[in-house]
Amino acid sequence: MKRGWFYLIGFLVLVLFDSVGAISFKYAGMHALPVEANTAWLLRLFGRPWVYGAVIGYVGAFFTWMTLLKHAPIGPAFAASHLEVVSVMLLSIWLFNEPLRLPHVLGAIAIVAGIVCLGFAESREHVPEEGEA
Amino acid sequence: MPTGSITPLIALLWVLNVVLDTGGQLAFKAAAGDPNAGDGLARWLYMARRPWIWLGIASYVIEFLIWIAFLSLLPLSEAILLGSINIVAIMVAGRFLFGEKLTRMRVAGILLVTLGVAIVGVGG
Repeated sequence: MKRGWFYLIGFLVLVLFDSVGAISFKYAGMHALPVEANTAWLLRLFGRPWVYGAVIGYVGAFFTWMTLLKHAPIGPAFAASHLEVVSVMLLSIWLFNEPLRLPHVLGAIAIVAGIVCLGFAESREHVPEEGEA
Repeated sequence: MPTGSITPLIALLWVLNVVLDTGGQLAFKAAAGDPNAGDGLARWLYMARRPWIWLGIASYVIEFLIWIAFLSLLPLSEAILLGSINIVAIMVAGRFLFGEKLTRMRVAGILLVTLGVAIVGVGG
């Protein structure tokens, strides 16, 4: 089951990078308020470190994703790559004191169920090639 | 500042984000899927001489800024859920532009994600 551990750790790293990216995006925006369509806003944005955290999160997620996709089945990979919505939600409650309200919980359950369906749909279409499994 | 209620500006940023994300993905797909592109370095040079890859990069750069603006105006937990609609937009666009199959399982997934985003948008 060595490969199982590889996937598990790989997917956790992927979710971690995605979460770091999303949270850095949020901090970047918060520290550059108010939102304006001008260079003053861009200077505020790029003059702080957060926006670079967002870039690191995304670049890290990209390379983790490409590494996983070499061997991982596409269905579970697809689902796992979008499940950061859950981790980001939980982290926002903790980091930004955001209230967890009922519409968000119901919406999140429907979205996660949808992502799992899409993951299964991808799995069914992907027929493993000779020697791949 | 973030209150959770969706103003016209937030709605506009949300739509722009979906359009740019989907447009960018499709542009990259068009660039990468060109059968005349060749291999290796020649493939990259071929892609660089055609507009698709640049259109994709431009879309992503603008989307990056739009997404930050969007997140500044909403709680992150709500914004990340609303952003899930991108998955649906890309699948539907892939169906129409590249003839990708929409199986029953995919349709179920698309409907569930859309339902979830609608619940968050209306009730948020």
